[in-house]
Amino acid sequence: MTEVTYLEDIALGEEREFGRYEVTEDEIIEFARQYDPQPFHTDPEAAKDSIYGGLIASGWHTCAMYMRMICDDRVDDGGLSAMGSPGFDDLKWLQPVRPGDVLSVRSKVISTTPSQRRPDRGTLRVRTRIVNQHGEVVAEMTNLATFRRRPAS
Amino acid sequence: MKYFEDIAVGEVWNLGRYEVTAEEIMAFAGKYDPQPFHTDPEAAKQSFFGGLIASGWHTNAMLMRLLADTIRRQELASVGAPGIDRCRWLAPVRPGDTLHARTTVAAARRSRSRPYGLVTCHTEVRNQDDATVCLMEGIGLYACRPEAEDAA
Repeated sequence: MTEVTYLEDIALGEEREFGRYEVTEDEIIEFARQYDPQPFHTDPEAAKDSIYGGLIASGWHTCAMYMRMICDDRVDDGGLSAMGSPGFDDLKWLQPVRPGDVLSVRSKVISTTPSQRRPDRGTLRVRTRIVNQHGEVVAEMTNLATFRRRPAS
Repeated sequence: MKYFEDIAVGEVWNLGRYEVTAEEIMAFAGKYDPQPFHTDPEAAKQSFFGGLIASGWHTNAMLMRLLADTIRRQELASVGAPGIDRCRWLAPVRPGDTLHARTTVAAARRSRSRPYGLVTCHTEVRNQDDATVCLMEGIGLYACRPEAEDAA
């Protein structure tokens, strides 16, 4: 039986570094052709003449790669603890993400708040930084996640 | 070309519609958000969502596609985006849903240092039952009209 992580098990102020995602030109173009077809994301030649000076990943692709690193980092409990996410705040895309970059995640738990309306769950707030191989923060945001609360024994 | 100066506060952009399929939900989630309620229809039935739902990041990607198509259609001088102040996923997005998105220009200001304008947009995504599935407040960067064109 897999251990379930409840809201109460998550420590305020907990900091973690995890993940490794190698960004390729093929994947940048593939994502952008489907979801963000602007020349600086889909066309290496046209991107050279853009304000970015070369091909860059869609900001939404950066977020998607972040989500993949979160999923790979989590112990698979069959979806027992996490109940999805209501959203995020203060997302900033600070630096371009380019082919060849290697991304990782730095996160810090900033609050765990039991729900007023639904006593079986609560909201976790995590300050997230997505970092490249030079240690530059390429994106940051505050993520929300809904977790189950430990049942009264 | 529609430049920053051509974008008026209060303007509403109808971004069009997007048909959501199970195949696309699973393909996106298989790559970027492999949780059972996004990737496995059977496991999703047992989950707290009661069936397969799209990753919230997938919803945002679909919204971006609608915005990118609008940028192309309206020839907007988009040069990217610095960020999103607030995003809320309010209701599950499921296979067979048809999403509609609408953006209201809430504020616009010119950059002090560069020839761009920052446009604050409030975007609402609704499904075919008119339920709001996503609300987003973000900023887009648009090029200013080149001075040569002003003189023309």
